[in-house]
Amino acid sequence: MTYFLFILRSAFEDFYRNKLRTLLTSLGILIGVSSVVLLISLGLGLKAYIKQQFDSLGTNLIYVMPGNITGGGGMRSSATGIKFDQKDVQTLKRIRNISAILPIVVKMTKIQSNTESGSYEIAASTADLFGVMNVDIEYGKAFEKSDVDKGSKVVVLGPKIAEKLFGTAEMAVGKIVKIEGQGYKVKGVAKSKGGGGLGMPSVDEHVYMPHTATISFNPDKKFYTLYIKADSEETIPEIKLEAKKLLAKRYTNEDDFSVVEQTEILNTINSIFSILNLVLVAIAAISLIVGGVGIMNIMFVSVIERIREIGIRRAIGARKIDILWQFLAEAVLLSGIGGAMGLMLSFLVVLALRTQFPAYIDLPTVLIALGVSSGVGVLFGVLPAKQAADLSPIEAIRYE
Amino acid sequence: MIKLQHISKEYPLDGESFLALHDVSLEIKKGEYTAILGPSGSGKSTLMHIMGLLDLPSKGKILIDDIDVSTYSDDQLSIARNEFIGFVFQQFNLINKLTILENVLLPTIYAKRTLSFDPKDRAFKLLKDFGLESKIRSFPNKISGGQQQRVAIARALIMNPKLVLADEPTGNLDSKTGDAIMDLLEKLNKEEKATVIIITHEKDIADRTKRKIQIRDGEIVKE
Repeated sequence: MTYFLFILRSAFEDFYRNKLRTLLTSLGILIGVSSVVLLISLGLGLKAYIKQQFDSLGTNLIYVMPGNITGGGGMRSSATGIKFDQKDVQTLKRIRNISAILPIVVKMTKIQSNTESGSYEIAASTADLFGVMNVDIEYGKAFEKSDVDKGSKVVVLGPKIAEKLFGTAEMAVGKIVKIEGQGYKVKGVAKSKGGGGLGMPSVDEHVYMPHTATISFNPDKKFYTLYIKADSEETIPEIKLEAKKLLAKRYTNEDDFSVVEQTEILNTINSIFSILNLVLVAIAAISLIVGGVGIMNIMFVSVIERIREIGIRRAIGARKIDILWQFLAEAVLLSGIGGAMGLMLSFLVVLALRTQFPAYIDLPTVLIALGVSSGVGVLFGVLPAKQAADLSPIEAIRYE
Repeated sequence: MIKLQHISKEYPLDGESFLALHDVSLEIKKGEYTAILGPSGSGKSTLMHIMGLLDLPSKGKILIDDIDVSTYSDDQLSIARNEFIGFVFQQFNLINKLTILENVLLPTIYAKRTLSFDPKDRAFKLLKDFGLESKIRSFPNKISGGQQQRVAIARALIMNPKLVLADEPTGNLDSKTGDAIMDLLEKLNKEEKATVIIITHEKDIADRTKRKIQIRDGEIVKE
């Protein structure tokens, strides 16, 4: 124990004496570890963000979408051309154990008040939208069945849009916004659900309107997606089967449409992002190798500088393995220090990011970062350490 | 205690073989105070390296307490150096980044056997005996040459070695300080019964020991 404490202490004393050199050598590992950790935490954050967005859409939802979404590994083209219509909605209404079917029209378009404008996503559906997608109203009212039946030109704004266009969410109620050249009355403003940040869309930036009021930009009254709300989680598989069976009568090609539940879409998206993240992390890991080479370089210099010291230690009884341990411990500590500093840096960056984005660092990431950085020390420290250990005691002690 | 039997040592030098020692046999008994005297290039340093187990002979045997150590592995030689030999060098060879106390304690760090003494107590005692008690926290480059050599002697003695090998111990010191170091080594031999071998090229130094072995061109020429 004393022996290892002695080795560690002399390593730390050496670092203290060569503060600048230690810092510069660890810098490579610091950059490598922090970029890897940051990318992993961004990946984790992205997953959390997507999950959060899906959860905010409501639970027990089944999506009916055009194209083959999950088959054949990943999201294949959904542009098979088919779009759903009111007839499909009526067909699906025959399924038991469902509480609502939402026909969805989505469009990204410019929305203007008198003074401001911006590009936002419109989600048009029936009045059930608010219940199914858990959209609560903060100011004013939600549009009603009668609005849908009449095709009233009314909207419910997400709180962020309302603030952007009218200063405060409260002020927006009763005002008129212009969409695709037509005036729509703001009937209500939704409660904030959070999310978004770093330029990513948030449900707080959605505009809701009756699907019957979308004639100007959806003249053929087609729906991009249909949401089926199941009564309970247990009935989902049965409803999916039934929906597939019913729609297959009209759309005969099996790639024409998909009936999927939230978790399937989530898994598909997550698997794509995981691969992307892995590639980025692998690229960032190259900087760890560069950092490792830096450590190896400085350790070789350190061996040359200390040849005489090595000779003295060997003369008074240090074995080759003792010298090897000493230099290896220094290399591992050097890269471990870099790793720890890199980790601290990433903690700070993630902390700053969290105001905008749900990035986080989990325990496995911390352990991997420290493990990998120490591993780099072993990998790149072993050659210089072996060189030191293999020096002949006589030649080393005579070295000037 | 230490026996060299028909020791020869050859080195490769510029592609040729150089015979540094030729058929050297000698015995050093426990408690002896011996000088190995010879001019530079005579082979005395090679002899010291072999007696100090820093190097192995090309031919011949080294026996320590009748155990043949010439077939020892590198690790066994390291352990034997640690337990049996105390070195004192002309250049002092202290480690500058370690304190005086740490330098003296260093051999105990590498000890493979449980020590029969408390390392710190013994180091304190040695440093006190050598008048260095006020310097234990100092670093070697902050004390005089004579003091550094006394630290080196304390380091050589900490493991209670069978043999103290001093290679030109006064070579880097002025004559007064050198005399003091020689007095110290003499005292160690007389009072502590330490076996001391001094390697030197100076006849005056060798004259102070009880036994003189003269070496020239790799052979013992006079005893």
